[in-house]
Amino acid sequence: MLLHHWYFYSTFALSSLGLAFHRTHLVSALLCLENMMLSMYIALSIWPVENQTMTSALLPILMLAFSACEAGTGLATLVASARTHGSDHLHNLNLLQC
Amino acid sequence: MGTALILNTSTLLTLIIITSPLFTPLLSNTLTASPTHIVRTIKMAFMLSLLPMALFTYSGADTVTLCWEWKLITNFKIPLDFKIDQYSIMFSPIALYVTWSILQFATWYMASEPHITKFFHYLLMFLTAMMILTTANNMFLLFIGWEGVGIMSFLLIGWWFGRAEANTAALQAVLYNRIGDIGLILSMAWLATTTSTWQILPPTEPGTTPTLPLLGLILAATGKSAQFSLHPWLPAAMEGPTPVSALLHSSTMVVAGIFLLIRSHPMLTNNQTALTLCLCLGALSSLFAATCALTQNDIKKIIAFSTSSQLGLMMVTIGLNLPQLAFLHISTHAFFKAMLFLCSGSIIHSMNGEQDIRKMGNLQTALPTTTSCMTIGNLALMGTPFLAGFYSKDPIIESLNTSYLNAWALSLTLLATMFTATYTTRMTLMVQTGPTRVSPVNPTNENDPAIINSITRLAAGSMLAGLLISSFTLPIKTPPMTMPLTTKTTAIIVSILGLILALELLNISNTLTKPKQTPWANFSMTLGYFNPLTHRISSSLSLGNSQKLALSLVDLSWYKKIGPEGIASLQQTITKSSTSMHTGLIKAYLGTFALSTIILILTTTHL
Repeated sequence: MLLHHWYFYSTFALSSLGLAFHRTHLVSALLCLENMMLSMYIALSIWPVENQTMTSALLPILMLAFSACEAGTGLATLVASARTHGSDHLHNLNLLQC
Repeated sequence: MGTALILNTSTLLTLIIITSPLFTPLLSNTLTASPTHIVRTIKMAFMLSLLPMALFTYSGADTVTLCWEWKLITNFKIPLDFKIDQYSIMFSPIALYVTWSILQFATWYMASEPHITKFFHYLLMFLTAMMILTTANNMFLLFIGWEGVGIMSFLLIGWWFGRAEANTAALQAVLYNRIGDIGLILSMAWLATTTSTWQILPPTEPGTTPTLPLLGLILAATGKSAQFSLHPWLPAAMEGPTPVSALLHSSTMVVAGIFLLIRSHPMLTNNQTALTLCLCLGALSSLFAATCALTQNDIKKIIAFSTSSQLGLMMVTIGLNLPQLAFLHISTHAFFKAMLFLCSGSIIHSMNGEQDIRKMGNLQTALPTTTSCMTIGNLALMGTPFLAGFYSKDPIIESLNTSYLNAWALSLTLLATMFTATYTTRMTLMVQTGPTRVSPVNPTNENDPAIINSITRLAAGSMLAGLLISSFTLPIKTPPMTMPLTTKTTAIIVSILGLILALELLNISNTLTKPKQTPWANFSMTLGYFNPLTHRISSSLSLGNSQKLALSLVDLSWYKKIGPEGIASLQQTITKSSTSMHTGLIKAYLGTFALSTIILILTTTHL
């Protein structure tokens, strides 16, 4: 595998691990989410360069737009949960616990 | 032809006269059935029943009267027929004579009872049921009479139903009789399926009847006649008024079981197993009751155990294949036992309700007629030569000694005969002689013709009945004629030994102090530990087992644990243990997702 491909894979994997194993703050999970998005964006941008086609050249811009919306939603959720729970500490988010 | 007509009509008329005070008040308002009226009715019925007896004594004729037939199915008919043979012809006058005396006594004894008319009606209903039982020719009619006497016994024992002991005694009587009824219904079912009729007939093939229906009949007799294992109801039945004890539990009801065995004697004859069972059971009951009577202090209980012992002796006679002798003992026993009960009733009322013989003494001077009749009755019970009991008891003991039977039954019966003399003498001496132990103020009065006439009438019967009946009935089997001198006089020797024993023991108790509780005295006083052992254990066992079966097994296990609740509890265990892991935190879920993805990748791609 080419080295730059390995960079993208490892960044994505590390960010997803970071999303899964976040410790105290919800915002760190959102950051990892952004990181995942970023690595995917760069990978999607490199892809038409390697394949020398223009078929999927629109894909990174679309993904960026959607991820921006999603980041905004995430931040809005963060603010809402900070409003209701007082902070964004994760051990407060236990409404589902019986 | 004329003989049969007179027999049938007079017997049926006797039965109708007995029942007439029960339904004549229903027909008209002016016709009342007061106690004296009822006494006169029974006296008339007795006089009338002497006619068939005289006719039978003269001619030996017996009849069967068929009134109506219940055609259940074509093959199985239940007739309403009355068998007027030697047993029912001889029993009716005796029963009516005894009932007449008892009813006359009861007009004095129950004089202060507000419901005395109802009492007399109950006694009449009982007498009707007993007459149906004795004149029945088929098992259905006999069963009607059987149940009738059982129910009337319940109602009469529990006459003073405000008393808890009376209620439990009545319940005991009904329950023990019910256990015997199982046996009766078993034999009825066997008879109905095998012989297709309920007539009491000899078996068609002269071989042996199978033991099963005979066991049923013996069980029925054990229940009704208070043989050993189903006996506790008879002493407990003394809770009823004394006329009830005199009529039911000495002369008539308790002999119904023995009467059933006498009637079904053709079936019993050739079956040696059933006969031996009767013999041993009768011997055991006789000795057990006599042992229990030795340490009783209640005068009515002593007489009750005496009845039980004599019933055991009757059962022994059945076991010896001598039904006619058993019937003779029934007849003579009725007289002196009823008289003993009436004497005890007179004594109890004179002692103002005191029934304990330790608080009676020297009543010979205060109640001469009663006590002399009581002495006559006790001597007859012991089998004193040429009184009534002698003519039935002595032949029984002679036949016992000269028959081929097991020595255990023989020795038990002789021991019981000795104990009979012992407790009888003890009762007589403690009640009638010795220093007075009664309280000074007592309504000791027997100057009522109701008492005097009834008791002396029965005393005359106790003296003459044995001689009269045995000289006018033809024996079916030849009695043993030759035997050694000691064998011939065994009964008398044994009774005299018992009497001397009683005299010696009473002497000791007057002069020396002996330990109050010895093991044998305890055994006798607590009636053989039978009551607490069986009454508690059997009922708690059966109730506990049925609760386990019905509640725990069926309701709890099969319906709940195996089905809904079991599954629910299983699920709950799992969920309770996994609840602590469900924190609701998203990190745990994402973490497990990541972990499982890593494991998947590692295992499949061999990195």
